[in-house]
Amino acid sequence: MLGSGAMTNTIRDIAEQADVIMLVGSNPEEAHPVIGMQLRAAVERGCRLIVVDPRDIGLAKMADIHLKIRPGTNVAFANTMTNVLIRERLIDERFVRERTEGFEILAANVSEYTPEWAEDVCGIDRRDLVAAAKMFGSAKRASIVYCLGVTEHSTGTDGVMALSNIAMITGNLGKAGGGMNPLRGQNNVQGACDMGASPDDLPGYQKVWDDALRAKFEDAWGAPIKPERGTKATECFPAMIEGRIRGLYLFGEDPVRTDPDTHHVIKALDALDFLVVQDLFLTETAKRADVVLPGCSYAEKEGTFTNTERRVQRVRKAVDVVPGARPDTEVFTEVMNRMGYPQPALTPAQIMDEIASLTPSFGGISHARLDSVEVGGRGLQWPCPTPEHPGTSILHVGQFSRGVGSFSVPEFQPSAELPDWDYPLMLTTGRVLHHYNAQAMTGRTAGLDEIGGSSFIEINTADAERLGIADGSRVRVTSRRGSIETTARVSGKTNQGQVWMPFHFQDGNSNWLTNAALDSVSKAPEYKVCAVNVTPA
Amino acid sequence: MGAVVERFMRRVEATPPGDCPVATQLSLLQAGIAQTCGKCVPCRDGLPQLARMLKRVLACEAGEDELSRMRALAEMVRATSDCAIGYEAANALLEGMDSFAAEYESHVLEGRCQAGVSQTLPCETLCPAHVNVPGYIALVAAGRNADAVNMVRKDNPFPTACAFVCEHPCEERCRRILLDAPVNIRGIKKYAVDHAPADRVPNLSRSVDTARTVAVVGGGPSGLTCAHFLARMGHRVTVFEAREQLGGMMRYGIPAYRFPRERLDQDIRGLLQAGTITVRCGEEINAERMRDIAGFFHAVYVAIGAQGGKTLRMDGADAEGVMSAVEMLGRIGDGDYPDFTGKDVVVVGGGNVAMDCARTSVRAGAASVTVVYRRRKEDMTALPTEVEAAVAEGVEMTVLMAPDSIEVDEAGHCTALIAQPQMIGPVKRGRPAPVAAKKPKERIKADVVLIAVGQDVVAAPFEEFGMQTTWGCFDADDKLRAAGMEGIFVGGDCQTGPSTVINAIAAGKVAARNIDEYLGYHHTLRCDIDVPAPVANDRTPTGRVEVEERPARERKLDYKSVEGGMSEEEMLQECGRCLRCDQFGCGLLDEGRVQYV
Amino acid sequence: MFNLTIDGRAVEVPEGSTILDAARAAGVHVPTLCHLQGQRAVASCRVCVVEVEGEPYPVPSCSTPAREGMAVTTDSEQLLAWRRTALDLVIADHGLNSTNYCFSCEKNGACELQAVCRELGVEEPGFPAREASEPVVDANPFLSYDPNLCIRCQRCVGACNEAARNHTLRAGKRGLRTTIEAPFGPAWRATDCESCGNCAQACPTGALVEKRRAGYRSWETKRVRTTCPHCGVGCQLDLVVRDGKVVDAEAADGPSNRGMLCVKGRSGSFDFVASEDRLTTPLVRNAATGELEPATWDEALDLVARRFSELKERHGGESLAAFACSRSTNEDVYLFQKMARTVLETNNIDSCARV
Repeated sequence: MLGSGAMTNTIRDIAEQADVIMLVGSNPEEAHPVIGMQLRAAVERGCRLIVVDPRDIGLAKMADIHLKIRPGTNVAFANTMTNVLIRERLIDERFVRERTEGFEILAANVSEYTPEWAEDVCGIDRRDLVAAAKMFGSAKRASIVYCLGVTEHSTGTDGVMALSNIAMITGNLGKAGGGMNPLRGQNNVQGACDMGASPDDLPGYQKVWDDALRAKFEDAWGAPIKPERGTKATECFPAMIEGRIRGLYLFGEDPVRTDPDTHHVIKALDALDFLVVQDLFLTETAKRADVVLPGCSYAEKEGTFTNTERRVQRVRKAVDVVPGARPDTEVFTEVMNRMGYPQPALTPAQIMDEIASLTPSFGGISHARLDSVEVGGRGLQWPCPTPEHPGTSILHVGQFSRGVGSFSVPEFQPSAELPDWDYPLMLTTGRVLHHYNAQAMTGRTAGLDEIGGSSFIEINTADAERLGIADGSRVRVTSRRGSIETTARVSGKTNQGQVWMPFHFQDGNSNWLTNAALDSVSKAPEYKVCAVNVTPA
Repeated sequence: MGAVVERFMRRVEATPPGDCPVATQLSLLQAGIAQTCGKCVPCRDGLPQLARMLKRVLACEAGEDELSRMRALAEMVRATSDCAIGYEAANALLEGMDSFAAEYESHVLEGRCQAGVSQTLPCETLCPAHVNVPGYIALVAAGRNADAVNMVRKDNPFPTACAFVCEHPCEERCRRILLDAPVNIRGIKKYAVDHAPADRVPNLSRSVDTARTVAVVGGGPSGLTCAHFLARMGHRVTVFEAREQLGGMMRYGIPAYRFPRERLDQDIRGLLQAGTITVRCGEEINAERMRDIAGFFHAVYVAIGAQGGKTLRMDGADAEGVMSAVEMLGRIGDGDYPDFTGKDVVVVGGGNVAMDCARTSVRAGAASVTVVYRRRKEDMTALPTEVEAAVAEGVEMTVLMAPDSIEVDEAGHCTALIAQPQMIGPVKRGRPAPVAAKKPKERIKADVVLIAVGQDVVAAPFEEFGMQTTWGCFDADDKLRAAGMEGIFVGGDCQTGPSTVINAIAAGKVAARNIDEYLGYHHTLRCDIDVPAPVANDRTPTGRVEVEERPARERKLDYKSVEGGMSEEEMLQECGRCLRCDQFGCGLLDEGRVQYV
Repeated sequence: MFNLTIDGRAVEVPEGSTILDAARAAGVHVPTLCHLQGQRAVASCRVCVVEVEGEPYPVPSCSTPAREGMAVTTDSEQLLAWRRTALDLVIADHGLNSTNYCFSCEKNGACELQAVCRELGVEEPGFPAREASEPVVDANPFLSYDPNLCIRCQRCVGACNEAARNHTLRAGKRGLRTTIEAPFGPAWRATDCESCGNCAQACPTGALVEKRRAGYRSWETKRVRTTCPHCGVGCQLDLVVRDGKVVDAEAADGPSNRGMLCVKGRSGSFDFVASEDRLTTPLVRNAATGELEPATWDEALDLVARRFSELKERHGGESLAAFACSRSTNEDVYLFQKMARTVLETNNIDSCARV
């Protein structure tokens, strides 16, 4: 199994060298537009494109094959594709023999996933699936690019594992134009994971329960660290309601708007004894806090972001912090000092030096080096263990970080909540080009609001006709968890029985509707599938 | 002065495709102004005023009212000019205003040219299959003949056929005309296929199997082209051909001395290697069989060509010795050569097929061969080079002579063609039409009469299946979808009426793309051949190298190829004349190319 | 590798280089106008013409491939004269009257045409100048196109079609004149234009610009290279700062964005920084009224430290949790999790990676 959630390859080698790109649950033209531009260029140079998405995203028009699968059936499709590849002998036998283990078990387990079966489950033509498998399997360099359409399911981790099986059996790891490439959502979500904002991992994915690693940090920090793994954020909300978690420090998050099942989130936050929110604006969440601390924007500080390619790049201070606010690291240092820990006041460059000293994969990274002529403004891709190391543009070249790659065989399970008599439509959520998440940033640019500033729901023409809904009319959308009003966009973009909404807009925020059912491993919520009912408003 | 006029003519001839028609009209009008003698008001003063208005229209500065004022003035000039200089200048403007009404409207109402007005590479644009001509010329010059063959095949799977028999519309507006004469594009292509036979050049890569099945009815240039591209896209194709062998009119119409069979076979072998293509020859398709095929395959391309020889309704037309050109050439296709030793042969018609019949008759040992044609020699639709070649081989051109009847002996055998002399008359639909002259009928001795007056589509079985026709040709929309049918596409001669090989190829290519879309794919066919970088243009006027031909007295004795080829030094000089319009001028612009990815 | 000489200087360049690349490698400056690094050369302006020994006429250095053994001259009197004439022709058609001879142009001081004219000593049109007054196309909220100033170099066409591959901005024709069909007219909403602004960044003149360009003069600003704060692509951009305020963002040639940005990065990455509703003081909830009220940093931080300490003592560190921001820097996140593990004494630390 592949390790941490990061692209194994670079955008450039995929765009320039891949023979086939399989895009799964990802709409880069809207969510990662500059990657979208480069994928369009890839297709125009002759790279083949397979789009796996329940919706007619823009790139589906350019695709050789569009598998318009039912939401929540990624595992079914991927296991079937694996089966077809094995049956057609479109596998890289040498790669499988030399670099993986457990292939026979995989082959036996996926043998039941026949194209005929997948046709029903995924709602696609089996010939398309077979053709896609052949296209992928016969390519010299084939890359899988995926996004939240794979991960934001109650079976999200399974979806990723099922896809990585495809990459491994076809030997598409460790080479340019190949790889398993998650497009990470936010600017520094990669960095946040790398830096140990995780209940299991210290910085650099060093496990908190590993005594030797923990001891290294305890020595350096001069403070004990708890050995037990912590609670994942999405699991914290039930814990707050149950009183197991009583105090919460929220740094730059707005779960009232961004987390699924808003009623549930509010109930959890209101149950806390003490809530601190540090943010740029008085968000919906901040309004419920006991203490609100002004935060500092990216343009006001020095530091680094790590992009979806594991590339650490500099953030530089362009303007002074707004009067009254303080740099975020200064605030944390103050809190640490006032709680009795002698944290010295460090500059961001000094903090990066501390990170490098404790995190092998960041060992060669420093602000000075990132600013140097040698790096030339191109950042450094971890792993970069020493100051002489050039960084690693492609992972798993020659060998996996953990020796041989092992296959895991997830079984297909339907989504946690499926349509029924009362809630007959399947709702999926996603991003649009002109806004970002809760719009904390994009909502403050007038022109972006002019281009698209309000909520809508995409509904299939046949469903709309049956429900008496006209294009552009107001509709009420209701799930087991909540109800909102929004505007209908009637088209064939989604299949019959499926609706889609962007999650940015406060006027009809889809998260009043979404399900907080969690993936069993990653604890990512099932944003991508829930059952709703749509009626004319 | 003669040199300037000659230059002017070349300039006009080299008008690039895609220019704004209003701009071309302005040039024409200005040429008219330059020719006025200055005597009369309408021409002397009216034409410059018209030019002033037309300039404003061209620059999108004029309004609709100006258009009507321009029309009124032009009508006055046309009506009142003393001589043809003023008359024709105004007449051309008025006719242009009607022919290009939409363009004029766009200029005055939208303030821009119509979408699509933009200069593109002449050769590539005018080739119906849009072959990357400068690309393959550069490859031939670089000694990369196999790459050149594949560069042609990227858009046209018949490089050899087009090297021998293409009417080369690509050469019509070649920019080289500005300096001397068009590049001999066909000759260069012939050099490539002579040095890299098409069946020995591996095909460009194909896409993976899609498991979609397509039937192609008709194994001629259009059907085979369609099959080839569909196979490269990964579809599974079955070709149904009624005759014993593939090739259509290239085998059963064009004589071997123009296109040797073994060379045709090279193209066919080459294009069939592109992917999964099953060939079923000798299967005639009737309505019932067509229904089966349409039911079984995901899509069908009907490209049955125009296989029926037109006949002339006249006395004695059913006599022994009278046959259609299609019939004779068809038999030859399967190796059944006629023996005309000692016979007098008359060929009726003036097209390329008539020349093919005449020249074949010479080779079949005929004592005399006479082509009988209603119009003048210059009105013949056959290529002038074909007519010239036939004359050189001893064919008599009897022109301005309309067939009246056939004289038959008591055994039912034809003995002569009776013809009515004609006189050339007024122009109708662009061509001067003949009228019967007040002269007595003539008798032209004939043991064999070959009727080469055109071909018909044998459409009946397909009409019974449900396809619609107009004037004997199948109806289809611009995507070549057969009118009123689902999943049935139709193109080539059977949709347009008899035309050239390259037009049939182009239709097959268009059909393949549309069938691919219909099946839900958007295949882009990959071509990884890098085109050599250009050197600076050599603009020294240089003569055009022609492909060498065997002397008439020799070649008329056998059915072997008439044409030889260029020598290496000739090829290099000819390639060096190419101005590489793909790299200079509009070819560098995004919109300057007519290339599929 | 090819060896050639530029003005007598020997230089070695890889295959596929142009004469311009070779000149730059040799440290020889050749003026250019329509050329844009990284974009296929259209070679329309002829400002970069050079002489190649043995060739009958000068060639544009931007589009002519370098070859083994070439001897190139870049600075003859004749070349200079031709370059000046080319610029003369360009500015005669540049609609100078529409900007009051550059004074009122938004790109004054940042205009590449102005710069190259200045470099080559072309200070006024040598041909009768066109008096231009075509309407400006500017219904798009961010972008506007002034056909009067357009020099038809086609850089914007390349930006839209070859770089962004959006294929909405194309060249059109008005008889003999090439025009740019900018999709910013009244029907802009119906176009596929993504408002990414890569066309505006490509424009060498003031013809196609981001509208906010009117709000500053480039000499009043400084540029700070940073990383875009929106999605995970990590586009490199320059924040344009005037008087301590970010007024614009421009794409930089980063490894993942290769000189491009999307609409969010270019137009949505700075207004929020100086937004009126930024928090400028800590707020503490008044227990009596239940309202959030302004407090000093000391009051707020003491309260945070005291309440967390109390909860930790009473219920243990596991009763506390901290969520970090996936939008903040690595250094912030590192220190935040260090704070959680050392003083909150909890591993209940997470980010919004899952949401």
